[in-house]
Amino acid sequence: MRFVLQLAIFISCGGLLLPSLHAAPWNDLTTDELEATLTQKFAAGEYSPKGADSCLMCHRRSEKVMAIFDGVHGQGNSNQSPMAGLQCEACHGPQGNHNKGGKEPMISFGPDSKLSASAQNSVCQGCHNDAQQMSWHSSTHNLEEVACSDCHQVHSAKDPVMDKLTVNDTCSSCHSKEKADMNKRSSHPLKWDQMTCVDCHAPHGSMSESALTKPTVNDTCYSCHAEKRGPFLWEHAPVTEDCVTCHNPHGSVNNDLLKHRAPQLCQQCHANDGHASRVVPEPGSDAFGGGKSCLNCHSQIHGSNHPSGSLLQR
Amino acid sequence: MKLFKMNVITLSIMAVSGSAMGADFGVGNANLSSVNQSKYECKRCGDSNGYQGSISVSVGYNDISDIHAGNALGTAEDGAIGAVSGDVRYQGESGYRGQLQAHQLGMDNGFLSLSAGKADLYELTFDYSNLKTYQAGNVQSQLWHNNGMLTPSVSVNQFDLALEREKIGLGFDYGRDFYRASVRFSQVGKTGHQSSSIVTPSPVNFGLPVDATTRQWDAGLALKGDNWITELSYMGSFYENNINHLSLPHLNDVFTASPDNQAHQVSLAGQYQLNRTVMSGRLVTGRMIQDDDLIQMSGNPLQSWDGQVDTLDGRLAFTSMLTNRLRLGGSVDYSKRDNKSSVAEFAQYNFNSVTGAFRQNTPRDYEGNTYKVNASYRIASGYRIQAGYDRKEVERSFSEREQTNDDSLWMKFNVRAFDNFNINLKAEHANRGGSEYEANALTSSEQNALMRKYYLADRKRNAVELSVNHSPVHWMSLDINTCYAKDDYDKTQIGLTESEDYGYEVSVSLQLNKHVNAYGFAGQQRINSTQAGSQSFSKADWYGDIEDDFTNIGAGLNYGGLMQNKLMLGLDYLFSSSVSDTYVTTGVTRPYGDYYSYSHSASVYADYAVNALMALKLSYRYERYYDTDAAVTDINSIPGLVTLGDINHDYNAHQVMLSFSYKLR
Repeated sequence: MRFVLQLAIFISCGGLLLPSLHAAPWNDLTTDELEATLTQKFAAGEYSPKGADSCLMCHRRSEKVMAIFDGVHGQGNSNQSPMAGLQCEACHGPQGNHNKGGKEPMISFGPDSKLSASAQNSVCQGCHNDAQQMSWHSSTHNLEEVACSDCHQVHSAKDPVMDKLTVNDTCSSCHSKEKADMNKRSSHPLKWDQMTCVDCHAPHGSMSESALTKPTVNDTCYSCHAEKRGPFLWEHAPVTEDCVTCHNPHGSVNNDLLKHRAPQLCQQCHANDGHASRVVPEPGSDAFGGGKSCLNCHSQIHGSNHPSGSLLQR
Repeated sequence: MKLFKMNVITLSIMAVSGSAMGADFGVGNANLSSVNQSKYECKRCGDSNGYQGSISVSVGYNDISDIHAGNALGTAEDGAIGAVSGDVRYQGESGYRGQLQAHQLGMDNGFLSLSAGKADLYELTFDYSNLKTYQAGNVQSQLWHNNGMLTPSVSVNQFDLALEREKIGLGFDYGRDFYRASVRFSQVGKTGHQSSSIVTPSPVNFGLPVDATTRQWDAGLALKGDNWITELSYMGSFYENNINHLSLPHLNDVFTASPDNQAHQVSLAGQYQLNRTVMSGRLVTGRMIQDDDLIQMSGNPLQSWDGQVDTLDGRLAFTSMLTNRLRLGGSVDYSKRDNKSSVAEFAQYNFNSVTGAFRQNTPRDYEGNTYKVNASYRIASGYRIQAGYDRKEVERSFSEREQTNDDSLWMKFNVRAFDNFNINLKAEHANRGGSEYEANALTSSEQNALMRKYYLADRKRNAVELSVNHSPVHWMSLDINTCYAKDDYDKTQIGLTESEDYGYEVSVSLQLNKHVNAYGFAGQQRINSTQAGSQSFSKADWYGDIEDDFTNIGAGLNYGGLMQNKLMLGLDYLFSSSVSDTYVTTGVTRPYGDYYSYSHSASVYADYAVNALMALKLSYRYERYYDTDAAVTDINSIPGLVTLGDINHDYNAHQVMLSFSYKLR
């Protein structure tokens, strides 16, 4: 009898051991059908009698599954961790009859899940509903239906997106233009992971432009470049308004992240008689084009505190 | 249980007639009526209490002829190098956790992060990082700096243009279910030299010494209920410059130091959720203060100037899933910069002598409102359309154009209906207008009346983006992104008149078998801009065409599972090329001169597991970097200008590293 039981468990688990090679039995359901089934199942609340052990009877041979115990979500001794509560079913929903052949759907995550991003995310948000997530609902990532599991991995000792050395890889796997920008002639040191995307941007959204971590673009820049904050006695109008008027923070083919080089950039705003309006036909022939160009004299371009510095020269 | 024996037709009917409520599988909504946790068992669960992770020690050799290579190789040291890294986690039986991450400690660029605490109760953090960026080595100047005096000398002062940021940070978080409080402090010391220039009266480029400290204090208190969250926070930043104003022996205070300053912000933010409608808002009030002593000179009526800018930033946003197909959203943003600095008249220089011309400082105010509405509609399963309208209204003081309005209409189309294809299309039409442009409002007759500054000028923008993700087979993923944008400054005769930006990125990732994966990507971007100027101070008589071209190619391979799963080999390669060609036309068109850079970065590595706990990694990195700029000349080759000499780069650099790592579990 015991042998028959073991054989039955072995056969019923067979389909679950190779999830990547065999599509889930509920793959034929559409997203709506799957969601409707899981909603019913969730409401019925038929949780397994023994918790995690009921699941691990079949799933313990998967390294990916067992890796949950290396991270915080598998920590049974923290009362905030799912493993201290409903265990596996806290996230994957009530087992119901799933253990009888594995044909009944469970809540699943990741690129192979047919469940909508909002349904997947509702699981995570059931616990992760704090101030950091306050702007999630209006964020571009939410509106673009990005799932938490598109960036985060909980079945691992360390979530790569929480690691300073790997977070940029996660962001740039979708943001390919910004990934390319990191390699331009001038850029912030993102490609060597000395800076990270999340130093400036809040991936869960923020109440600032472009999901910046600080209230404004300039506040974001000043957090590292405080010497440009002033306020200065003599201000340069576009500097006080928006650093991005002249700089592209993601990278540029010009030096200093500038959208264009001097003198051309300066001449796109300044055409004073006989000075800024003069043509500079080549860079290396006079002080208008050579060296630092306009900044040879107007070196205090971000603002000057010299009483006689109205031309940003001192 | 018959519940799950519903047929597909029943499910489809349910899905189509689904209520506005989407699925919410949050654990707080779980039906626990049949749960008896006392019978729960976790005999098969893994045990990760104790230490896990690894620590590693690396020794190696750098062959570097130009310190610029230090940016890529982590240190500009030429010769033997060494570093310690590690990633260790500790988990105690009673719920305590600790984490240590160290990266390249001992090199110019590295960090250490420590955290300890009890999950979701409290956490203490400590961070240390060193970030050094290299612009050029062995730069030459005949000015020697000592305590604010720049002394000219026949002997050459040789130094590096490099900046080092050393940061330490401390943080403490404490919280329970409904509240969380945090305090953080960080201090960044920035030292080194950066390129700058003084007017003596002829311009002389020099290495500006940098020695400054920025301290940052952040504190916050967050509270939450079932359907609301609120957070009150404070952010304070204090900048202190340890370098004084700079003087020449014959010219006092010829270059002002960046003044000490501080900024404070208090923010109150909140979110409220009502079924499937979520509202969020924030109000941030801030003050920036700078009251350093002004340089005392004739024509300066003030001892110290009271620089003060008050800011107010607000936002109110909502998003609502009206049905399972339709989402509506909107937001209003407000931003105000109220410059309350004192105003006085100051004598101005005209080249090298005081002309007696006085000028009043112009404390600039700024006020902006941004309105956004958007809608997202799922046409059918896997097909979604989004559209939105954004409007930004800005008012400025002391500006040629006091008001500008930016209107933008955009649309996105997302297709997820196919198993192997994801398609996203985005199109945007935007238009900027505003109040009358008064070219000479501030500068009387100095500015050409036809000039329209590009950030204020009328502009039409049309942009389109297309991205396709395709997985033809389960082991291959292909991504293609393309974009095109055109800005037309149609009312501008002098200034930037047109800009066009287009490009593509293609990437492929392959899981060739259980042990081998590979990737490749390529991308190009082109930005063409045209601008016009006038030497005759009337209509355009010269034109500039700027053609920026960027190319980026990369590929890599990872081959594991060799020698009974003990050896892994890897290879990465990256090429990038940045070119900016300018053509100036004054009757005839002439190229402006070389301005480009390219780099080849390659690395190969072998990772060998000596046993279950110990591993060796041998890596080799190669950097080839070249850049040129025709504006960079020898020190005295341009009459009336002294430069820092040839600071272009042309080098090959190599790094060999051997790392030994030990796994803690």
